[in-house]
This record gives sequence, structure tokens and C-alpha cells, in this order.
Amino acid sequence: MKTRIKEFRARYDLTQEDLARKVGVRRETIVFLEKGKYNPSLQLAHDVAKALKAKIDEVFVF
Amino acid sequence: MVTNERIRLAVIAIISMLVIATGTLFAYNSFMQGKIAGAVLGTIIAIIIVIFAVFVFKRGNEDLKKGFPLKDERSRKVLEKASSKAFYVSLYLLIAIGLLSDKLIKFRDISQATSVAVGGMAILFAVFWAYYNKREL
Repeated sequence: MKTRIKEFRARYDLTQEDLARKVGVRRETIVFLEKGKYNPSLQLAHDVAKALKAKIDEVFVF
Repeated sequence: MVTNERIRLAVIAIISMLVIATGTLFAYNSFMQGKIAGAVLGTIIAIIIVIFAVFVFKRGNEDLKKGFPLKDERSRKVLEKASSKAFYVSLYLLIAIGLLSDKLIKFRDISQATSVAVGGMAILFAVFWAYYNKREL
């Protein structure tokens, strides 16, 4: 699944570590999400989108 | 939350130390009985576990200091996939050990065969964990 996490992170000047801390996951999870190599649960997708002040379908490209 | 994670890390450290102590005792016992192969094997297993435990403990401690959890959704998924696959493949390993135990492999007794099977399962789990940790999930 493609994501726009990197783009949103840049917009809010967040590092992968910052985002991981905000969402409450390990940094590797954010790395894999950005690479599109992990399909998150709806809860995690919601949390990531919320942390990036965006809607789920704006962050995750289905 | 952080306290729970600290307890979990402490439990991992205690279990690792128990396994290391068991490996060391096994090596010592084998050496005293003149079984050099067993002593070498026990020592190698203990050293591998020491290296692995130090790595896991150091990394976990650093992550906790930085405010990251020890486990999250993805790491649990990796663990679930690796353990289920390791269990599935280990059934074939057990069948293979059973079939070959009289023809190719001569086990000293049932406890040695069980140790080989458990060791094989542990290795399979480690391999599958490494595989799924890099793969798309």
C-alpha cells in the first residue's frame, strides 16, 4: 500500500522517531509504513492520520 | 506503561540468564563426563544466547529510554507469523527426526532426540522471525 506519510511528515517537520513516539509504535513500523511494506490495522492507520492531522484516505493511498 | 515494559525487559533478561546457566551447566556436565562434543555444543549455544541476549537487552533499553515500546502491532504480527510457520515446519522436522533416528542419526537416548528437536524448532523460529521481519506484511 502506498502512503504519503513522508510528505506529511515533511509538512509538519516531524522525524520518523517523532511520529513513532506520537503514535506509540516502534520506529521500524513507521519505516515499513513509509516504504509501503506494511499494511496497518484500521486503528493504526487512524492514529497515524490523526498524528499527521489528515484523513486516512489522504495518508494511505488505496 | 513504561514500568510494564521495564518489567517485560527484566523478565527477558532473567529468562536469558536461566537459559545461559542451563547451557553452561550442560557444557560443564558433558565435559566432566568426557563428552567433549556435548561440552563444545553447550558452550556454543551459551555464547550465541549471551550475544543475542546482550543485543536484545541493549536495544530494548535504548528504545525504552527514547520512549518507544518494546512491542507494537507490527512486531506482534511478525512474532505470530514466525511462530505459526515455525510450528508448521517443525512438524516435518519431527517426522524427519523420527524417520531418520534409526537409520542415519544415532541418538544416545530420548532426551538427546528431544533436545535436537527443540533446538531445531528454536532455529526455525529464529530464521522465520528474521525472514518476516524484513518482508512485506
